[in-house]
This record gives sequence, structure tokens and C-alpha cells, in this order.
Amino acid sequence: MVRTTGSSEATAGIILSRMPEYQHPAARFLRDLLRHRMALAGAVVTLFLMMLGLLAPWLATHDYARQNLLEAFKPPLAPGYLLGTDQIGRDIWSRLVYGLRTSLLVGFGVTLIALVAGTLIGTLAGYLGGWVDTVLSGAVEIVWGFPLILLAVILTGAMGPGLPPVVIAVGVINSAGFARIIRGEVLALQYREFVQAARAVGATDLIVILRHILPNAMAPTLVMGSYYVALAIIAEAGLSFIGLGAQPPLPSLGTMIADGRNYLLYDHWISTIPGVTIVLLVLGLNLLGDGLRDILDPRLRER
Amino acid sequence: MITYLAGRTARTLVILFLASVAVFYSLRFAPGDPSGVALSPLVLEEIREAYRERLGLNRPIYLQYLTYLGNLAQGNLGQSLINGKPIAELFVEHGRNSLILGITALLLSYAVGIPAGILAAAYRNRPLDQAIMGLGALGMGIPNFWLALLLVYLFSATLKWLPSAGCCGPKYLIMPALVLAAEGTAVTMRMMRSSMLEQINQDFVRTHRAYGLPEWKVLLFTLRNALIPIISLTGLRLGWLIGYTLIVETIFNWPGVGYLLVESVLRRDYPVAQFFSLVLVLAVVLSSWLADILYGVVDPRVRR
Repeated sequence: MVRTTGSSEATAGIILSRMPEYQHPAARFLRDLLRHRMALAGAVVTLFLMMLGLLAPWLATHDYARQNLLEAFKPPLAPGYLLGTDQIGRDIWSRLVYGLRTSLLVGFGVTLIALVAGTLIGTLAGYLGGWVDTVLSGAVEIVWGFPLILLAVILTGAMGPGLPPVVIAVGVINSAGFARIIRGEVLALQYREFVQAARAVGATDLIVILRHILPNAMAPTLVMGSYYVALAIIAEAGLSFIGLGAQPPLPSLGTMIADGRNYLLYDHWISTIPGVTIVLLVLGLNLLGDGLRDILDPRLRER
Repeated sequence: MITYLAGRTARTLVILFLASVAVFYSLRFAPGDPSGVALSPLVLEEIREAYRERLGLNRPIYLQYLTYLGNLAQGNLGQSLINGKPIAELFVEHGRNSLILGITALLLSYAVGIPAGILAAAYRNRPLDQAIMGLGALGMGIPNFWLALLLVYLFSATLKWLPSAGCCGPKYLIMPALVLAAEGTAVTMRMMRSSMLEQINQDFVRTHRAYGLPEWKVLLFTLRNALIPIISLTGLRLGWLIGYTLIVETIFNWPGVGYLLVESVLRRDYPVAQFFSLVLVLAVVLSSWLADILYGVVDPRVRR
């Protein structure tokens, strides 16, 4: 605060009245998000589809695996079937919400675990430096940028078809991606004045990391996080589409699209309903990512 | 520059070694062993044992690895368990098909993505820019297998212009190449636009304008600097392209390396799976090495 020679009370009053009202960072973030139309649209679509997936057991009207050849190829809004049935008479709505669940499990669930692992690796590498950094960043540089789908297919060769190889591939590659971002942020942040100040007043390494460094590294992490989720969802669906990935009877948006590929001409909804859903989910996530980038980190805007 | 090159090359060799060991080990841990694919389940246990003996599957795994490398070095690649075709023959044939598809897609994504990005930057925030960026968002949002189905629906099922799958000849190439190029085009476009916009605000551009250079010449000079991030990301793009090839080739039955790898993984034809996993990993690692070098060439600041 500047010392004033005149009436200090009046000066303080002027300064206070000119200062923007204090807002909690979370509140400010929410306000910015509501103002950013694209980000808001992305958030709404993503949240809506997430709710469908999370509430799948309550929303599903049929057993997702139950076949009924007499009821096959029912169009959407047919009595008893909200979105119709597929080529072997399974209820598309019930399969859709459970398929979303599979996407979310691989997309969000695994990316969340990868976030924790990546944060740990990135913080250790950036904060400790030395040989720890050399080893960890060496490993991260090898894995990061390796094509997710190729890794998943090679792992499928080792483990057999199913979700586990996809989950491991997403987990490993996204952990490396997060570790890379966090390490960069930690390196940049640890010599900043506010971190040095915290150290000077006796904060332990743990406090410095948790209270001062990581919160400031969260912006770029969140932005990349939403892209990573989208990439993971696309990879899972693509692998399931070609017969790797989710195995029947477990529905996945990818297998659902593959189910209808021979009936596109006359009974297109078998493919188009899951197809439109996955496009909405990925577009929503990408819009959210772009929006978060604008809101949280103006430095990244032109990238 | 020499030290930079040597460092990158040494690193690439280490990665290659680690990756080949990882691929070799992970496929040996696969559930079920090759004798289950090649021999009938009714075969006596003794014969099965003899078969394993002949393939050397009973020896310590590091010895198997060394033998494998030795065989590779002599060009002895083994053969498919399913149809007995020599892997070397498969490699030549499928490798050529994959190269044709991959190079077409890569060229396509740059040929469309770079000009579109420049246009969007030149007309920024006007309808043309918004249209291009909208298409870009769509290109990133549509998963490639879904785009593939839509194209097949339009061009094969409805219009009957193009064959829906299969190989060889320009007509068969069009759709897989388009699908493979779609995401790369969208990403290139977005990067090109933001890179151009970054450069357009630089002092040297203002100087050019102040000299009264026509706008297209100004853009030309801006372009040279704006291309740097595009070039430097080529390696990463190539890696992703290789990943997506697996899916696109499988969808269109395009007999390339990716198709072969997915088939062999699904049918547990493990000599084929192992060799082509190694080939694709090699391709990815080499493209990132190439990218490092290109980066050093176009941006002298990196050569430390």
C-alpha cells in the first residue's frame, strides 16, 4: 500500500471504490464460463451426455443385451422403444445410455486416473530435478506422442481383445501428456516471487507444491484434459468399431455404429443415433476445451 | 548442429531398442501360445511340445529375442501361421499399399489445410473464416470411422460412384485417403490460422505494409515464418496418421500394414503381429526423429 501524506482515509476510500469487487476464483470462473457462449454450449452438451451415462441403470428401459428378433428394425418412437431397435431387436435407447457409460469410463475415468499419475510424475520431475528429472522426463518423452491406437492394438495382441488394453493405452499416454504439462509449469513456477515468498516464510515443500504451485498449473492441465478425454473417447469407439475394444454384450458407441453399417440405406438409425451422439460428445468436449483455454489461460489463446 | 543430430539419433536408437524389447516381451506373454493357432486342438501334447521346440519357444526369452534379431538381420522374417505366406512378401506388398495411402493422405491434409488456414487468417472473423473454422471443428469432432461410414453411404450406397471397400487403383484410394486426411486437415488448418495471426502482428509485417508492399506479398513473407510450427509438428502428425491407418485400413479393407496388424492380432497370428508391430513402432519413432531434425533445420534456436 502506498503511504499518502494527505487524508489517508479518503485515499483508501477512492482506491477501494475503484477496485473491482473481490470474487472467489471459482465464482469468477463460473461467470466467465456463463459469458462464453461456445464454452457454455460445450459444457451443457457434455454434462447432459455425462448424466445420461451416469444414470444409465435408471434410464434404461430394457436389458441392453436382450435380443428379440421379432422386434428387430423398429424405427425410433415405435411403441415401447424410444429410439427403436437394432438388427437383432435390442433396444437402442438402453444400449445408447450404457454405451455412453463405456465411453465415459474410458474417456473420463481413465483420464482422471492419468491426471493423478501425471501430476505426481510431473511434479516430482520438475520439483526435484537432477537425475529424477532425467529419468522421468526421458520416459515421458518416449511415451508422449506415441499413437494411442497403435499402442492399444499392440497391447491387444498381448492381452486379447477387450477394454483393458484400451484402458491401459489411454492411461499410459495421457499420464505422460499430463506429466509433460505439469513438469513445464512446475519448472516455470518454482522461481516465481510468490513461491519464493512462501518458502521464505517457512512453508514446507509439500505446502509449496500443493498450495502454491499446483493450483497455478491447473489451467493448462484442464484445457489439455478436455482434449485428452475427447481423443480417448474417439480411440475407444474406433477400436470397438473394428472389433477390438469393447466386446459384446457390453455396448459401446463404436460397436453400435458398426452394428448398423450394413443397414444404412433403409434402417439408418441403428448407426446414426450412436454416430450423432458421439459427434455431439466430442464436439462438446472440444468446444469446452477451446472455451476453457480462452477463459483460464489467455496466454494459450493463439496456440 | 552435428551434436544436436548425434544426440537425437542416439536417443532414437535407445528408444528403438527399448520398444523392440517391449513388443517382443509383451507378445510372448500373450494368453494362449502359437501352437494353439497352428495345430488342431486334438493334436497330442508331445507333438505340441515338439512344435514349440522347433519354434524355439522353450528357450529363455532373451535368447529368443537375440535369435529373432539375428533372423531379422539376415532377412529371415518367418511366415504367417494362418496362411503360411512369407512375412517378407507380406511386408513388401502391404507396405507399398500403406505408403500409397499414407502419403496421399498427408499431402492432401497439407494441400487443403495450409491454404485454408491462410485464407481464414487473411479474412479473420469474417464469414469465410467462420465457415472454415466451423468445418475445422467438425473435422476434429467427427471420428474417422463415422466419417468413413457416411462417405460410403453417400458415394457407394446412394450415388454408386465409388467402391465401398477393397483395393488398388485410384477409385479405391479416394475414400480412405479422404478419411485419413480429415483430422489432419482440420488440425493443420487451425494451426496455420493461429500461426499466421501470430506473425501478422509482428513488427516486420508492419514494416512491409509501411513500404507499400501488396497484401499478397506481405502474406507470402508472413507465411515463411508461420510454417515453422506446422513443419515441427509433422512428426507428431505422422505418428497419429500411423495410428489412424489401423482403423481406416480395416474399415475400407485396404490391404496395408495397419489392416494386416489388426487382422493378425484378432486371429492371433503372432509372428505377423510381432513383425508388423515392430515395423509400425519403427515408423513412429523414425518420424519423430525426422521431426526433431526438421525442427533443427527450420528453427536454428533449437540446435543447442
